[in-house]
Amino acid sequence: MADLMMPLHDLFQWVSELPTSIAIRESQYVSPYLTVSHVLSMCFFAGLIVMMDLRLLGIGNMRTPFSDVQRRLFPWQMLGMGTSGVTGLVLTYSDPMRFYVNIFFWTKMLVMVLAGINALAFHFITYNSVVKWDSADTTPFGARLSGALSIVMWAIVIVSGRLIPYNWFQN
Amino acid sequence: MLEPYFQWLGKLPISQAIGSSIWIFPLVQAIHLVFLALLAGAILIVDMRLLGFGLTTRPVSQVARDARPWLIAGILGMISTGIPQLMQNSMREYYSEYFWTKMTLIAVGLVIMLTVRRKVTQATESSLAGKIVALVSIGVWGGVVWNARLIGLFT
Repeated sequence: MADLMMPLHDLFQWVSELPTSIAIRESQYVSPYLTVSHVLSMCFFAGLIVMMDLRLLGIGNMRTPFSDVQRRLFPWQMLGMGTSGVTGLVLTYSDPMRFYVNIFFWTKMLVMVLAGINALAFHFITYNSVVKWDSADTTPFGARLSGALSIVMWAIVIVSGRLIPYNWFQN
Repeated sequence: MLEPYFQWLGKLPISQAIGSSIWIFPLVQAIHLVFLALLAGAILIVDMRLLGFGLTTRPVSQVARDARPWLIAGILGMISTGIPQLMQNSMREYYSEYFWTKMTLIAVGLVIMLTVRRKVTQATESSLAGKIVALVSIGVWGGVVWNARLIGLFT
């Protein structure tokens, strides 16, 4: 594991010494306002993801066919993902070694990847049969499973993201 | 004026208990954010519809009715995870201008939600008034989030 992390360690170390990284780190206002922007972007992204997940579970937004919810919200979810991604990336860029040693940061990264895999799996498997259940009162097991996994995983992402400042497990 | 009440709140045994644990406060704070996502989704899906984005294939009133239970769940979740944070940190909040801006904006947001926004979300289609209400609603709730996060960063 230590060997596997070495290239990442070197990358994070290298970034932390870049002049722009140091400049943002030493500025008093950039990172607080980036953090606030990251939270606002998160509201937009996670909020619309949850609305779709509730539809997948068959318990929310049931007056709209699923394919409508998916297609109509998708561009906005992507916009939210873009702004969350950019603000998050700049935050990481500005203080990489702080995040490198943080267990919550890596938990967040890992669960984000898993949530992405869940979304793709749903898209390529369950979504193929959407015409059969688009306006039905209940959704199939695969849809409910994807919706539940998505809510749980994005909740873990939010919680572990918020816990990053509390580095209880750090020496 | 309210200072004695905040002092009293901070001295309650339950407030002291929350403060004596290193993980209760951070965890409550993190769950507050999860409910924030739910609340933001339930507000945005309706405000976006009023502005002519998102679920435009359905009437405004239907989108709003679908969102309501999650809106209420989001508000209840925010209150129940917000109060313990206020109890444990009462004096920091009392002296934070961001806290009072946040509370003022929440009051404004709730009044809008229960009056004009309620009215415009009963219609099938959105009018100019509906669009204005939606923009104000997004702005006010965005302001709540903005000030809320700054309590911890600048106090």
